Amino acid sequence: MAGRQLIMSFPVTATSHSLAEYRGRGGYGALEKALRQMQPAGVVKEVTASGLQGRGGAAFSVGRKWQVVVYDDGQPHYLIANADEGEPGTFKDRWILENNPHVLLESMLISSYALNVRNCFVYIRGEFDLPYRRLAGAVEEAYAAGMFGERILGTDFSCDIVVYRGAGAYVAGEASGLLASLEGKKSYPRNRPPRLTVKGLYQRPTVVNNVESLANIAWIIANGAAAYKEVGTPKSPGTRLFSVSGHVNRPGVYEVELGYPWMKFLEEDCGGIQAGRAIKCVVPGGVSSKVLTGADIKDLALSHEALWDAGSTLGSGGMIVIAEGTCMVSLLQILMRFYHHESCGQCTPCRHGTGWLHRILDRIVAGQGRPEDIERLYYISKFNDGTTICGLGDAAGYACSGILDKFRDEFEYYIEHKRSRYDGNLECLRSS
Amino acid sequence: MKHLIPEFEKLRERFPAGFESSLVLPCVRRIQEDRGYVADEDIEQLAAYLGVPPIQIEEVLSFYTQFRRKPIGRWHLQFCHNLSCSMNGAERILAHVEKRLGIRPGQTTPDGRYTLSVAECLGSCGTAPMMMVNDGYHENLTCAKVDQLLEELK
Amino acid sequence: MPEIFINGQPVQARDDQTVLEVALANGHFIPTFCWHPQLSTAGNCRMCLVEVEGRGLDIACNMPVNAGMKVSTDSDDVKAHRKAILQFITLNHPVDCGICDKAGECTLQDYHYTYNGEASLSIDAKVRSTKYYNLSNRILLDNERCILCLRCTRFTHEVSKSMALGVERRGDVSNIRPVEDRPLAEDPYSDNIVDLCPVGALQSRQFLYKSRVWYLEATPSVCPGCERGCTIQVWHRKPEWFVKSLDQRQNTSIARITPLENPAVNGPWICNKGRDLARIFERTRADQPMIKGRPVPVAEALDAARRLIGAARHPVALVSNWGSNEELDAFKRYLGEVFASHLKRDWMPQEGERLEDDLLIRPDKNPNTAKALELFDDTDPAYHDGTDLVLVWGEGYDFARIPPQAKVIFMNSYLQPENGHADVFLALSIQTERAGHYTNFQGVVSAFEPCFPKGEAVIDAEVAFKALAAPARGHP
Repeated sequence: MAGRQLIMSFPVTATSHSLAEYRGRGGYGALEKALRQMQPAGVVKEVTASGLQGRGGAAFSVGRKWQVVVYDDGQPHYLIANADEGEPGTFKDRWILENNPHVLLESMLISSYALNVRNCFVYIRGEFDLPYRRLAGAVEEAYAAGMFGERILGTDFSCDIVVYRGAGAYVAGEASGLLASLEGKKSYPRNRPPRLTVKGLYQRPTVVNNVESLANIAWIIANGAAAYKEVGTPKSPGTRLFSVSGHVNRPGVYEVELGYPWMKFLEEDCGGIQAGRAIKCVVPGGVSSKVLTGADIKDLALSHEALWDAGSTLGSGGMIVIAEGTCMVSLLQILMRFYHHESCGQCTPCRHGTGWLHRILDRIVAGQGRPEDIERLYYISKFNDGTTICGLGDAAGYACSGILDKFRDEFEYYIEHKRSRYDGNLECLRSS
Repeated sequence: MKHLIPEFEKLRERFPAGFESSLVLPCVRRIQEDRGYVADEDIEQLAAYLGVPPIQIEEVLSFYTQFRRKPIGRWHLQFCHNLSCSMNGAERILAHVEKRLGIRPGQTTPDGRYTLSVAECLGSCGTAPMMMVNDGYHENLTCAKVDQLLEELK
Repeated sequence: MPEIFINGQPVQARDDQTVLEVALANGHFIPTFCWHPQLSTAGNCRMCLVEVEGRGLDIACNMPVNAGMKVSTDSDDVKAHRKAILQFITLNHPVDCGICDKAGECTLQDYHYTYNGEASLSIDAKVRSTKYYNLSNRILLDNERCILCLRCTRFTHEVSKSMALGVERRGDVSNIRPVEDRPLAEDPYSDNIVDLCPVGALQSRQFLYKSRVWYLEATPSVCPGCERGCTIQVWHRKPEWFVKSLDQRQNTSIARITPLENPAVNGPWICNKGRDLARIFERTRADQPMIKGRPVPVAEALDAARRLIGAARHPVALVSNWGSNEELDAFKRYLGEVFASHLKRDWMPQEGERLEDDLLIRPDKNPNTAKALELFDDTDPAYHDGTDLVLVWGEGYDFARIPPQAKVIFMNSYLQPENGHADVFLALSIQTERAGHYTNFQGVVSAFEPCFPKGEAVIDAEVAFKALAAPARGHP
């Protein structure tokens, strides 16, 4: 175990996701406390004081986002849990939906109470099957127990929830793209201003939070902001769920207390690297975060500040571990193909840039690379940075320039020799 | 899609007033579940029922990967070929399936049994490689497992 | 009123303005493709990136003003980004200039020369798409040229409300497409998207390959299609570019019609009927006066008409509501005392024509009813056995209604059988051959100017009325 566990704090069984067992673990106690003993403003204050950072990728203070919403402005507010989880390498929200859906529901109720939200939503990616069924089942249980609907727990607080299924678009994981989708349209993100907390779903104040961000609310309210801050580091309070995959022996979802040593986590909890290989590099937080080499991470802790200092980010917590001997050119080709496939096409730099990046990588992999291709890749990445409507364009650029920064020599080799320095295949267990 | 209207009416009640437009995605999903794909007349009828412009539904149908306007095979095999899956043998298993079924991604077997697709990350990287068969996830695949699975799919 | 700085210069802004609006209003040009003052902000082309001190680059079209902000529209970083945006736009854009109608009035061409000027940095094949997509029977779409600014789509959703266009698929394989069961053909404002398109993706079929725009000039005019009286531009060949050896009619025909922006009347739009005015103006003309079907010189026809007028005891006139303000005034002045004059509505709504809407189209399909009503009776003529002369000015009158004993003077521009049956026929000029004004249904007066010469035996109605008022003599 990588430090204290706040969310994955119980053994998973065939029934541990049920309402009965959730209650048995103390579930819905925080909701009682919030509704009976706290004012909405007090809940916002507590969440802000906890220092909870968003777990979807941006690590923006959850409380600061909430504070933009004016409680009594006479218009409907909406809260949406972002369960689109499309960032490659990320599957930790799925764990919560499958194994502990009630912690999300309880947290959403508390959050709705704080934000004066009458209707909240979970936007779940369309491909998720078991997570959807578990979540839908939990919602039914919660309604039956009077946790949703009118006058919850006999108070004046009423709240309804709808689980809304997406239909296959990574860009619907971007908050404003999500709103477009939830409004029944193609998932085109919006320019800001206005912020979504000012004009969001159907132009009403809307808070979009990642599933894991919300899942922490119940614990924070139950135990207090001060207790939360004792976990983790001062700049990165709490824990994070990491989805670990790639070339590790024990891939899976792990809850890590922030500040925990990275290598220790990989070697002990994740069982080390397949075939006993060394770590070549790690994608720390989903493919949109910049890659770090084995040398980079050797003495690093898993915290926001440590990764920001190292020029990367914990992002979505989607950690992909890459073993020595893996061809980074073939790897980058997959990522560029991904962004090209998922670009919504609305704005100029991303629409054309992602296609261009992909075509150049295809050409290099096919042995038709040119020396100027590397500069071209940097050019496209640079002019997708900060020029687009949403972060997809920037992300494609970060993935590309991040890998080029660390492994330029591999690309130069491939271009010059028209083949990979390694055998090109990405499997560790099967390659020579 | 007229026979689905009672269901849609129930669904409508779950949403706040004024959210008719939001019903497009769930209604389209249900229509597709029912018919196997979304037909041209479904678009007109759904647009009229929800009071949204038909073009909105057409855009939605072509934007999202899960919606289709043509029928496909009985079993839709979608292989993730994104990073972690590729790092754990997805390409190899896909090649095996292509050989066994005699089709490439995007194609359907002549007997209408299998349609093969590739997909981007499906959120199952920890149990890679994996595929979806219709709505279900099949994880930790090996060639043997896939062979067995294909046998069981009639 | 916050004060902001653009390129070092202080400018006064309003709280509700964007940085783009303030910049344009103060002479600081910022290039844009997708922005349009009459459409919602899309913010997708990214061409209007500007630099704000302390904040980096962002698009100006969606940027609120903050007092004291320092904006640069031409810093090195802004310039580098504009170049890059143009690189992206032209990445897959076909080099069709040589065969594209938009050349010469193409925003992409203009910006390329001004802000980029360098060849593509890509050596990869361009993404291909449909090049002759039949958007409607009026408009051709070339998806390869399209830069997905979405002006056309926004227009059909926000202005004409036909909801006819949308985007299929996503990424760099996105295509503008019309909704399937309601083609753009039903949208009477569809052709405005051709004006709106900043590149040559949307082309008007009636103008397709007709002429290079730099051979043409535009004369301001007024559409006579309904009482809205939208101001328009009539495009025709410049004299210095007249063709010498090919069909000479090219030199005196309408190449195309576009809106003339007019905040008081039609804003930047016109309806398709206004685009199709050649169907009205270029019908076969009556080019010669006649006496009972026999061609005669103008003087002889005028003289014969004067004699008829002099001899008549109960003359009745049907006055055209296509007459200009000047012509109507002239009729009133010179012939108003002579004839019992009645307003005639030359055109009625045609089958399938939209009658009226919230945008531009008005139910009265004539340009100058408002002025005519000021001067003339809006009643049907009361014919009786004593009616001995009927003067019909303009088209649209059912000659069967004229009492058989009455003589007929017919003044008309177009060829129709009644021309030959009239006792005296005078061939009249049309609005493209003279200057004048119309008054629209709201009382707004708009001017039209001549762009084509009139035939030798064709006469201006204004001149004719004065001539007809003189007593009959050997000479006019």
